[in-house]
Amino acid sequence: MLFFQSLISGILTGGIYALAAMGMSLVFGVMNISNFAHGDLMMLGMYMAYYLFTLLNIDPFLSLVLIMPAAFVFGYAIEKTMINRVIGHPSENQILLTVGLGLIMGNTALLAFTSDPKILTTSYSSSSFNLPGDISVSIPMLLSFLVTCLLTAVLYLFLSTTRTGMALRATSQNREAAQLMGIDVSRMSAIAFGIGTLLAASAGALIAQTYYIDPFAGHTFLLKSFTICVLGGLGSVIGAGVGGIVIGVVEAMSAAYLSSEWKDVVVFVLFLAILLLRPRGLFGRKGEQ
Amino acid sequence: MKHLFLAFTAALTIFTSLPAQGVAPVKIGFINSITGKEAQIGENLTNGATMAIDDLKARHIDVEMIREDDGGDPKNALAAYEKLVTRDRVIGVVGPYTSACANVVASRADQYQVPLLVPAAAKEEITMKGYRNVFRLNAPADVYSNVLLKSIAPFRPGTIAYIYAANDFGVSTVKTAQVNAASMGLREVANEKYQQGQPDYRATLAKVKAARPDLVFLVSYDADAILLMRQAKEIGLTPKAFLGAGAGYTTAQFAQLKDISSLVISATQWTDDVNWPGAADFGTRYRARFGKDPSYHAACAYEAVRIMALSALKSRDSKALREALVAGSWNGIMGPVRFASYGGYTNQNNHPMLVQQLQAGRYETVYPAQFSKKKLIYPYRR
Repeated sequence: MLFFQSLISGILTGGIYALAAMGMSLVFGVMNISNFAHGDLMMLGMYMAYYLFTLLNIDPFLSLVLIMPAAFVFGYAIEKTMINRVIGHPSENQILLTVGLGLIMGNTALLAFTSDPKILTTSYSSSSFNLPGDISVSIPMLLSFLVTCLLTAVLYLFLSTTRTGMALRATSQNREAAQLMGIDVSRMSAIAFGIGTLLAASAGALIAQTYYIDPFAGHTFLLKSFTICVLGGLGSVIGAGVGGIVIGVVEAMSAAYLSSEWKDVVVFVLFLAILLLRPRGLFGRKGEQ
Repeated sequence: MKHLFLAFTAALTIFTSLPAQGVAPVKIGFINSITGKEAQIGENLTNGATMAIDDLKARHIDVEMIREDDGGDPKNALAAYEKLVTRDRVIGVVGPYTSACANVVASRADQYQVPLLVPAAAKEEITMKGYRNVFRLNAPADVYSNVLLKSIAPFRPGTIAYIYAANDFGVSTVKTAQVNAASMGLREVANEKYQQGQPDYRATLAKVKAARPDLVFLVSYDADAILLMRQAKEIGLTPKAFLGAGAGYTTAQFAQLKDISSLVISATQWTDDVNWPGAADFGTRYRARFGKDPSYHAACAYEAVRIMALSALKSRDSKALREALVAGSWNGIMGPVRFASYGGYTNQNNHPMLVQQLQAGRYETVYPAQFSKKKLIYPYRR
């Protein structure tokens, strides 16, 4: 019972990790930028879901319809006004810019919303159903996982079937070659950052229902997202998806069979082991940075 | 004419400087977690300290309190203490909030010879090392577990599981709880230390559920308490009692979430329904001013600042302040306060802790009998 309970909890939590990491991986793949403001973008999604629910009574899942376009526009604008100025520049500049952006967002949220953790409580927040063997499945986590699967499928179809998606993949594979083929790589970067922000904010809105919201709540997920991206292969969206589930399950199993205190140790030992055996990550292509 | 001008200038200088020295308010420091993970509880301490200063001002007692934020980080707390005593020249300091911060700052108080009054940090070690300049108002961690287990003892539970944050407060509280539980004949069936701020505790809770404990003893700061209880409900963890040792189980926000917090028993340093002088009035004024119920942290900070300010006013320097704190006794919203040496502690107030239970969304004092108006409901039921 403990095994299956932990497995299910791990998969459901891993789904959220995967969604957050996919946005970061896409941005890295297309723009070759590590976005240290990713956790703060998640935090914005959390607050949007919270206030749409508490002020306008919009269910957090329905609020995604409003949060996603708003986040895309926000991300697109940030890329156009700030990020694209450091593309192709030394990575230190990119790190400083994204860390700075994150600090500004976090501290602005601190001023606007105070440090009080907010709890988004819907009528089904603590509800669950039981599978045979007394295995409990959290309803909000299951719904979040299903939404994550849907968003992943839509992203996959977008990247593999649409012209813009293919242009994004081409830019991800070789920015210079894509430019020579007539792709507007600058626009692709803005779209990638917009989609990355959309995915981060969506992950924030989904986790907000079972987590707490404070101005620095996204930081917990920033390190996890980086770990997942490297584990799955930097720039690989599928790798981020699989990596998220792997990390979620490993965390849950470590908590169940060792101790909750040890779960990060186990995750990082596994992380190092995979990198030693497969330095480009699970789904990274040979020769990629 | 030149001499007259010089004499006039000298007279003016003396005239303007003398009154300033005469009425200069006494300076004390206040270190708290205004930002960071413990900021929500820190806000309660800030509110309590602010009310104390305002109440003193209303009585025409002018005390300058210099506030410092440690962000919940011991390094920052130490830097804040050193800044207060060396640059701001305060003669006494109240704070910091967390055990980790208070423990580090306490280790330097004797070096600087500036008294530190800890308002709410529970780790026993803080007042067990014989520091002459460290005083503590609240009861230490062993009392949390002691009073909680005593309140539940008449119901004769058989087994206990521990779930606690991997921090100074969590570890020290559970360490003493294990000793107290063993002396009561309780068998330990699970011991789960967790890292704060994780989104998923379900595997840990499932493990505890499989052990079928009569009592689940929890030590958590604010938001973790809510996550743990919410996920415990999902998992179907239903012991005969949830015992929350302070902090996150005693906040107004936790009480509001009735579907997960109902009947949780917690240890507290203070409630406004005990008959300590001014306790009820403090509760009423706090609600009116801040729009929420005061937690024990607010009351601890209020009383600590009040005691420090009144003692500092009489003393005017750190050495005299230390002597005033050692010799003094007070009776305010935290009941009788006296800093004494007993049972291995030095300058520790022997504060009686209370046990409360959330009944119909309200914290009701249920133990000890002389302070309680309601009976403890046992066993727990959803």
